[in-house]
Amino acid sequence: MDESQLITRRETLKRLLQISGGIVLSSVTGWPRGGPGTVWAKTGGKRFIVEGLGQKEGYDIKALVRKVFDGAGGMTRFVSRGDVVVIKPNLSWARRPEMAATTNPEVLEGVIDLCHEAGAKVIRIADHTIHDARRCFALSGAGLVAKKTDADLIFPRSSLMKEMKIRGHRLDVWPVYLPLVEADKIINLPIAKDHVLSTLTLGMKGWIGGVGGRRNVLHQDIHQTVVDLAQFFKPTVTLIDAIKVMTKNGPSGGSLGDVAVKNTLILSDDPVAADALASKLFGHKPEDIGFIRLAQKQGLGTYDLNQLEHKKVLL
Amino acid sequence: MKAKHLVWIRRISQTSFLLLFFFLLVETRLPQDIYLEYSLASSSELDLRLNYPTTFFFQLNPLVCLSTLLSGHTLMKGFWWALSLLFVTLFLGRIFCGFICPMGTIHHGVSWIKPSLKGERMVRANQRTASQRVKYLLLVAVLVGALIGLNLAGLMDPISLLFRSLAVAVFPGLGVGIKELFGWMASSDIKLLNLMSYGAEVVVSPVFGYEYQAYQTGWFIGLVFLVILFLNRIRPRLWCRVLCPLGALLGICSRISILRLEKDQERCTGCTLCTKGCQGAASPMPGQEWESAECLLCFNCFSSCPEGALNFRFRLSPKLNRRPDMGRRAVLGGLLAGISIPLLGRLDGQVHRTSDPRLIRPPGSLEEDDFLRLCQRCGLCMKACPTNVINPTLTEAGMAGFWTPHLIMIQGYCEYNCTLCGSVCPTGAIRELTVKEKIERPIKIGSAYVDRGRCLPWSGNGPCIVCQEHCPTSPKAIYLRKEVAFGPEGKSQPVLLPYVDLKLCVGCGICEYKCPVKGRPAIRVIAAGESRSLGNQILLEG
Repeated sequence: MDESQLITRRETLKRLLQISGGIVLSSVTGWPRGGPGTVWAKTGGKRFIVEGLGQKEGYDIKALVRKVFDGAGGMTRFVSRGDVVVIKPNLSWARRPEMAATTNPEVLEGVIDLCHEAGAKVIRIADHTIHDARRCFALSGAGLVAKKTDADLIFPRSSLMKEMKIRGHRLDVWPVYLPLVEADKIINLPIAKDHVLSTLTLGMKGWIGGVGGRRNVLHQDIHQTVVDLAQFFKPTVTLIDAIKVMTKNGPSGGSLGDVAVKNTLILSDDPVAADALASKLFGHKPEDIGFIRLAQKQGLGTYDLNQLEHKKVLL
Repeated sequence: MKAKHLVWIRRISQTSFLLLFFFLLVETRLPQDIYLEYSLASSSELDLRLNYPTTFFFQLNPLVCLSTLLSGHTLMKGFWWALSLLFVTLFLGRIFCGFICPMGTIHHGVSWIKPSLKGERMVRANQRTASQRVKYLLLVAVLVGALIGLNLAGLMDPISLLFRSLAVAVFPGLGVGIKELFGWMASSDIKLLNLMSYGAEVVVSPVFGYEYQAYQTGWFIGLVFLVILFLNRIRPRLWCRVLCPLGALLGICSRISILRLEKDQERCTGCTLCTKGCQGAASPMPGQEWESAECLLCFNCFSSCPEGALNFRFRLSPKLNRRPDMGRRAVLGGLLAGISIPLLGRLDGQVHRTSDPRLIRPPGSLEEDDFLRLCQRCGLCMKACPTNVINPTLTEAGMAGFWTPHLIMIQGYCEYNCTLCGSVCPTGAIRELTVKEKIERPIKIGSAYVDRGRCLPWSGNGPCIVCQEHCPTSPKAIYLRKEVAFGPEGKSQPVLLPYVDLKLCVGCGICEYKCPVKGRPAIRVIAAGESRSLGNQILLEG
């Protein structure tokens, strides 16, 4: 490995101290602990959905991210000066970016840049990974993005899990990954992937990466638990990375043959609509997917895209 | 140079090497700041490696090197370190024991901080005894055993023993204690305690591990280590004098050493201060013949003699130092043990018949016979493994494979594109693989099978698919079929039933680890099908 790719121990330690200190401070200053339910972006009635499509050969992914956010009125619509922003990518697996098992690092970098420009005070990247977090962060590229952009990459550990009231139909009290609730704004940044039980894993299902505990029993009622978590973690905005998607063998993939190029980003403040539009990329009808149907029924949003302000941007 | 200075140089050297040993031990794990360049264009799997030469002390170790050469017929990576040490020993004697060996330093420290004996009793304890021949017995046993095909060096070798004890017992033990304390602090209602626990955790985790480390036989390894430390109460550095086979090897090499203790009978007043401080029981007093093979070169005698009757000098002389007092019986006993242990060790049939199904070796491990020729049981792979799946065996590998590494899939699992264990193995018992090789050949460490009685969908207790979801191969080795299962009260329900495709399964064990049926999961991995063994195959390869 090239030495230049490493950052020094001192730097890491400093950063880690910042993270931990930051989290503690946030709890001291009394940021919402009972779920970020109060931080919905004020959209003034009608919700929106923006679909970004990169058509040119070799287009700049970060530029597409910017364009998509501009289509929704710019990042300043969601992130205010001095905000603590937490970004929740999907970094579950220790896979290289080209395997499309984890959120595209360039999309992640693009979002962080926009948050910086919008004046965010602290930007955290947090995901409770499935594989060993050190390896996930290193291989998926998220570690390097954090280093480049000076964002705080938070390593999941048991002391950051706290039992909270989910108040869902299936989940009552469950250990929640604290950095995801102790923030002013949450940006959900999943990658669109195939999944055998829930058909697809998109934005709402990504919240399984926001909790700890015995996550492997959630599969016994996957659609309801996903919706329970989605109503607990209400993201300010969801950006689905469908630049490359995993069409089979999900959610872990592991072969380039499982990957299809879609060059698409979907941004919405309606988590159900974002998932619904993404599911169409895979040729599914949104209403055929259990958790999307259930989420609409429970009033988290709608998969009827006509009810939203629908925009399309091209690059 | 004054004797006092020599002693201080020794102390500084001992401390530095001990700290270096601790540092390399702590660094034998993936750090958090390990970042790889990402590029969407490249599709190569990159190998994550450690930043420091964690095997340094093993390469410096002539016993590890020699036993590997005798049993595995290979020269270790970095063997020239050991060669240089032997070369230095030829001229300076057991300088390694007095100045470098971290195990020796720990014993030295323990004996020094609280001497067990005082005055005349200490002088008597530091007289040479016949028990000091035991180490030669052990050395002969280890080397003969290695020649016959079982490498037991690591059980007694001080570097392997110390690394194993610290990595598998002492550090994890302390870590559990500290983490429990932090857990308690984090859950308390006092904000200050919360704050302190988060802050302290950041400092402590890189040293003691990011999670609770667990090693199922760690308690036993820790107990042995405590007993060895306790031996210092009987006599100072008893381990080094009586038991250490590496010390014996270096002692034999020190016969022609030109750094000699010269005694001036005239000046000696018989105060016995030299013997009182002697760490190796090497008969430093004038009137006795100095034993270069026992001398640890601590220079205590030199520094404590008030009359200047003792002096260490470089002197070329045709006369050799006193012959190491090995004793015929010790050598014969060593021969007997060295021949019988490897043969007895194979009586369990692990090598020639069928191995224990739980004996899942790390990926890249050599075939069992060759593995036992090389493995030092040092615990480097166990310490380095990011998921903590590699544990020391107790009975799984038979008597011959005691404390060798194996994978316990309820503790962790083998990450599909991780090849760290092979990269830290000092002797190559676990071959260093590239991720590409591990995935593409593929390297199988075992095979998974479904226990249908426990499996949730198979037993009609509900949907699950967790094993299939986590299966890392592409296409997945665990596939699902939609069928109807009959649950409680005969209610039929459509479920996805997991099946294992043995052709694709690599035995990584993530299915077993993530299975919601804890303790004895509904899908388990056995060693059968491991690619290192031709005899342990299930399928007729197509």
